[in-house]
Amino acid sequence: MKNNVFLPTFFLLWCAGWTSALADEVKCFESRKGASEVTQRMIGENLPNVKCSPKTGAVLWWGDPFDGTVPMGDMPIADADYTRGKALVKPRSDKVGLLPLCGNTCHTGVLPSGFPQNKDSRQLIMMHQAIVLDATKLPHGRSAIWCLDCHHPKERNKLVDHRDNPISFDQPQKLCGKCHGEVYRDWREGIHGKRIGEWASTGTKRWFVCTECHNPHNVQHGERNRGIAQHQPEVAPALPKGMKTADHERRHHDSARH
Amino acid sequence: MSKDMSCNPEGGCACSGKKAEAAPVESVSSRRNFLKSASMLSVNSLLGTAALMTMSDDARANTEWAEWFQGNYRLMSDEEKALARGRLERRYSREYAKTVIVDGTPAQEGVLMGYALNIKKCIGCRRCAKACVEENNQSRGKDQDMEWIRVLKMEKGEFSKEKMNQGYPEGLGIQVGGNAYSPAGVVLEGEHYYQADAVPEKDSVYMPIACMQCEKPPCVKVCPVRTTYREADGPVVIDYNWCIGCRMCMSACPYWARRFNWSDPNLPKEAMNPVTHYLGNRPRMKGVVEKCTFCIQRTRKGRYPACVEVCPVGARKFGNLLDPESEVSRIIARKHVFRLKAEQNTFPKFFYFMD
Repeated sequence: MKNNVFLPTFFLLWCAGWTSALADEVKCFESRKGASEVTQRMIGENLPNVKCSPKTGAVLWWGDPFDGTVPMGDMPIADADYTRGKALVKPRSDKVGLLPLCGNTCHTGVLPSGFPQNKDSRQLIMMHQAIVLDATKLPHGRSAIWCLDCHHPKERNKLVDHRDNPISFDQPQKLCGKCHGEVYRDWREGIHGKRIGEWASTGTKRWFVCTECHNPHNVQHGERNRGIAQHQPEVAPALPKGMKTADHERRHHDSARH
Repeated sequence: MSKDMSCNPEGGCACSGKKAEAAPVESVSSRRNFLKSASMLSVNSLLGTAALMTMSDDARANTEWAEWFQGNYRLMSDEEKALARGRLERRYSREYAKTVIVDGTPAQEGVLMGYALNIKKCIGCRRCAKACVEENNQSRGKDQDMEWIRVLKMEKGEFSKEKMNQGYPEGLGIQVGGNAYSPAGVVLEGEHYYQADAVPEKDSVYMPIACMQCEKPPCVKVCPVRTTYREADGPVVIDYNWCIGCRMCMSACPYWARRFNWSDPNLPKEAMNPVTHYLGNRPRMKGVVEKCTFCIQRTRKGRYPACVEVCPVGARKFGNLLDPESEVSRIIARKHVFRLKAEQNTFPKFFYFMD
């Protein structure tokens, strides 16, 4: 989903002009680096929209938790938890770099005529290699799934469910829940995943959707084999006055006394 | 605590008993009148002084006399509380050169704040600790770096034959508690100052700890001036103005949750969070104890605590324990839950859970 490699020239030019115009602005990421960026600005007197970590560039504090959000919209199960309070999400569409292009440049569903639209696993060409290097060994689902299991074969700016109905990129939970049902159930009730805003069960909350925290194109992360990538940690607290090192923490107190 | 120590709810007078000896009732009232008029005089004269040095950021110079003579917040009437908060708002606004709000929202009916943390999800990134500092106006910098949340890194693994003697008396195998030579608690079970390029590290688990907001808080039991107490909606709070800095609560706390301001806190003006609560994140002074309050300035207004919002893996959950539909209640109903040091009968409202 990164928009930095193998892009058509005009897109690159547009990108370059855009980034240079915003060179003095502070950009931080909300949950996943490279996929949830937000620009720091003032939304009131002495009130920034976000405060960011100087070390890692992560958002540490939200001035307005609902800044830039839209209603989550209809969900398939009517009596689930999210109907009790007001559920908001931040649109993902503008975070997906290729999205404006994919619907009308290469994959219109009709053109180009040679593009296969079945789910058979095959290598990808061109710009997609920046997203998935080897599409036949997708690090999600142990190579058992392929691009068109999740992406709509005809409308490439949409995701797809089991019955070939398109799903918006803003509602990836409808897609992910197809396989990860237990996690989906926990997420719906607020046990899995993250929400910010009001804590009351009837309150307004901004929900973080699946792809805001997980990279769907790599959930295995190599040997780590977990759904969350490693993060850069914040700095350790300063040692108390007079303490030179924290080596005492790293020693086992064994029978040979120190 | 003796009867004459407890402050008269009508007047802020008896707080002079903080330093002075307790006096008979009649003389207290007459002295109260004297102090009242004296403090009024001083306030009036100080207001003039304040006008001369409006831009001063020295906390002591800005402190109005009435603040030195105010009572225990818990025992104040509503008017006295409002006056006390107004004094602080004036002082902080001058000190930090911005409009500071000192809120006093009381506990809501039918709310018992509870917290849950998924210990299998925590990756040890310490963002919660830093978000807490941004929100709660702790002292920063090398001289006094204060964080209410401590993230402990622990070894992952099982009891193996090679490790049988580590941290415990030799020859006895596993014996929890240690002995005089190998004290338990300083073994390699919790590393607080760990350095890493990327977390989670291999073979490590992380356990964040902070104030557990006990239902039976040992810190409240030992406080000689009753400046720390449990609020009706759950959190254990401190009236920093009434704290004498004896640090008994710190030694009573089994969770390493309380911090002491050994020197004047270093809180940069631009970083100061101007939305504060009297019992929560208002700027503290030298010589007082502070700790997590479940972000009382946010949660009393309905907002999630700052650490809950920042957690990048969604391990932190907050809600009303009396509401069966809340996130925390659902976790307790559905997941494996434990409380830290439950055997101490402190009844924490902070629950660790696993998927």
